[in-house]
Amino acid sequence: MSAETAGPETLGSLSSEPEQQDPNSQKAKEISGKSPLRIALGRLSRDKIAVVCAIVVLFFIICAVFAGTISKLFGVSLETGLASQYVDGLNNGLPKPTMGPPNGPFTWEHPMGVAPRTGEDNLAYWLHGCRISLMIATVATVVASIVGVIVGLLAGFLGGTVDKVLSFFIDMFLTIPFLLAALTLAPILNDRFALSDNYATIQKFSLICVLAMFGWMGTARLIRGEVLALREREFVQAARVMGMPTSRVLFKELLPNLAAPIIISVSLMLPSFVALEAGLAFLGIGVTDGVSWGQTILKAATPTYFREYPQYLWQPLLGIVALVLSLNLLGDAVRDALDPKTRR
Amino acid sequence: MKRNKPLALVAGAALLTLAACGGGSSDDGGTGSGSDREFGDQEGGTKDAERQGPAADVEGATPGGTITVYLPGDPGPDSLDPTGGWSVTGNSIQQALTSRSLTQYARDEEGQPVLIPDLATDLGTPNEDYTEWTFTIREDATWEDGKPVTAEEVAFGICRSLDSEAFPSGPGTEYSKHYFAGAEEYEGPYTSKDPKCENWDGVSVDGQDITIKMSVPFPDMDYWGAFMAMGPAPLGNASKPPNYGTQPLANGPYKVDSYKPNEELVLVKNDQWSADSDPGRHQYADSFVFKFNQDQAKVDEIMLSDNADSQTAVSTSLGSDKYNDANGQLGERLVQQTSQCVSTLTPDYTQITDINIRKALAYAYPYEDVWIAGGEVPGVTRVPANSVMPPGMAGKKDFQVDGEQITYDPEKAKALLEESGAEMPYPITMVYYEVDPLAKATQDQITKGFEASGFKVKAIPVQESPYNIWLDPDNKVNKQLNLRGVNWCSDWPAGSTMLPPLLKGGAVYNTALFDEPSVNDEMDNINTLPLEDQAAAWGDLDEKIMTEYFPIIPTAFRNDLFVFGTKVGNPTGDGSIGAPNYKDLYVMQ
Repeated sequence: MSAETAGPETLGSLSSEPEQQDPNSQKAKEISGKSPLRIALGRLSRDKIAVVCAIVVLFFIICAVFAGTISKLFGVSLETGLASQYVDGLNNGLPKPTMGPPNGPFTWEHPMGVAPRTGEDNLAYWLHGCRISLMIATVATVVASIVGVIVGLLAGFLGGTVDKVLSFFIDMFLTIPFLLAALTLAPILNDRFALSDNYATIQKFSLICVLAMFGWMGTARLIRGEVLALREREFVQAARVMGMPTSRVLFKELLPNLAAPIIISVSLMLPSFVALEAGLAFLGIGVTDGVSWGQTILKAATPTYFREYPQYLWQPLLGIVALVLSLNLLGDAVRDALDPKTRR
Repeated sequence: MKRNKPLALVAGAALLTLAACGGGSSDDGGTGSGSDREFGDQEGGTKDAERQGPAADVEGATPGGTITVYLPGDPGPDSLDPTGGWSVTGNSIQQALTSRSLTQYARDEEGQPVLIPDLATDLGTPNEDYTEWTFTIREDATWEDGKPVTAEEVAFGICRSLDSEAFPSGPGTEYSKHYFAGAEEYEGPYTSKDPKCENWDGVSVDGQDITIKMSVPFPDMDYWGAFMAMGPAPLGNASKPPNYGTQPLANGPYKVDSYKPNEELVLVKNDQWSADSDPGRHQYADSFVFKFNQDQAKVDEIMLSDNADSQTAVSTSLGSDKYNDANGQLGERLVQQTSQCVSTLTPDYTQITDINIRKALAYAYPYEDVWIAGGEVPGVTRVPANSVMPPGMAGKKDFQVDGEQITYDPEKAKALLEESGAEMPYPITMVYYEVDPLAKATQDQITKGFEASGFKVKAIPVQESPYNIWLDPDNKVNKQLNLRGVNWCSDWPAGSTMLPPLLKGGAVYNTALFDEPSVNDEMDNINTLPLEDQAAAWGDLDEKIMTEYFPIIPTAFRNDLFVFGTKVGNPTGDGSIGAPNYKDLYVMQ
């Protein structure tokens, strides 16, 4: 996690002067009168990969938001009876033939089958796992971005001592190994909150905090660099000469010019958090109540189940791979679209 | 002895022993393929005081070869010091191969353990009230350096077992300290700076005779003598802990060649050991290699592949997901062995005071579902239990608390709860080990069963061994619990190693906090009975406690599965400890 989610070199440089363009050229006419965002969206919609990825991401978002409704539609739920009704304890704990594959024919009662050993419905757990995954990743991304942007803005614009102090904190957080910190924090949080009735909620909340805590530095560094370049530009100088308050300069003059790097860092942070959430759940230090793709993978990753019931492992795995891949590709496409210098 | 499995923090290696305690179910299902497997019923241990060396040859046994033993998910002993060993893994290996003691077990034709002499010439001679035992040490036993094992060295070894500071987790802290005369006051040769053990007069040596004085009658001294802690140790600094634990001096048929804790133990032939001096052990294979902390899935694949590596290998456990394959493919090379262990749930006797509620809990526990979710094979690795004493223990009675085996029956549980007049739903607070998904899955099943039966369950997730919570009276989580659990294995086949540790007032592992003066007195009383009456008395007490108080819910008797390679001869289990029968193994040539 100490790796930056987006480096300056991946961005269109906002500091250099825009290229001179012939105002009468074909290209210039095309974009005349359009806002930069419109131009970017136009570019994006012409990018086939971006469109496909956007559809995939939208699919996952719908799955996550309407997890409960879709489950009901299929007649499945997280509520499961006792294990022996679903699985055969004498046959490696694999699902009974009436529960669908691998031992029986497909059944609409459990469209994706049931889990070995416990008989939990795979579809319901997949949908709710998707919800948990996206929810944690989104909230953590928002928090990390806000913190990163604010720190970056302040450090870059105010400079001097403030910059030194904030940069020190950025460097300090970058030196803390993320996995080690997460491993250490899990038992501490457990010790503190195990008796609480909202343990599951607290666990997810703390997971968001941990992810955000170790995710904001990249954005902060990026924004700081951009601000350092921007604050010497004429329009900022002018605003300061006119006596605008610092907050106004920051939020009205600088922030709009930082939209591109912020969007890009968000779009790259999101998939990395999705993968991290699953990874932590796999290690048993993230979500531990079972409703998580990572936890399902942990349960499915035994040679026997992989040989005899591979779809049990493939389901969450495909979910993670498809979501992370499309988020990443979409992020790349957004970066390309927002960068006035890329030519395709 | 306590059942220990490792606690891996990352990647959730299982705390199966704790997590997957399960219990009785009415039927075995019987849908599995492959041969139906009868697991060896254990009968009361017998004794043969006359057995002399050399041990009878195993039919068809040939010398030579190396046997590799894989121990999946088992870190093995931390130290090889015989005095400190109190684990199923360590004791089973060392007592069978390297470290001799006063007595030992041999496996008879029916697979039952027989207590026979080892370093002593017989099983010891007690006085009338079992307060003094005399053992005569044989003259022909030798150390690996060729020197004879003397009575002084055996006495010194016994004296070492009193040092509970040097060996905090040794079995001597329980038995030597409790039974030997003057042991409570004596701190041991190392802690009290008494390297020759001159300040303790509980043991005296006269020629080849060792006499041990007891503070209370101890009729099970001959069984206690089978622990390697009751064996010799070189005098003086040569056996000083903790260094001695890395390279103990062997006196059995094998000696330590190299030892890396948690990784590997290599034993090679001890050429100074003479078969004539030992009534129980053999020296067939050239060497044994024990590989600790193996990955269960990997070992299963190795053992089932039947390649050159696995033909001379033994695995001490089998992943339950492989049971069907193994059962069909391996036949008699898959050995099922009762491990003289019981899994229990322990309702807090001070909080759940009504016997009907405790019985309701027993009926609310979904035995088979818990086993399946915990990765056990119902009827194979876990079987229904009726009381605390495991099958095969002397005096064990085949009774049922309510006339028949208690099974999952939510309606009956509700009826019992109503009878007790307690508020419904009745609150239950327990802990589970959240790092392991199997433990979480097991807890889910328990919660479902209990809630269907009129209980309200609060399951507290913890990230350390539940034993750490249950055994710590000051733990803030423990103070909230009214349902705990403990898995217990016998140290020898007598009720005195099962009932008092679990159900005597104030015992460490009495997590039910059961404390009835009449029962405590009865336990003290049984120790004073004539030896031949004791076994039956323990059985009666077991029945009395279960029917009158039902303070503990036995959920399962445990069986182990061992896998033997195709070229390992005499694939059997050791009924006295729940391990492969290392003494009689050989490599087919």
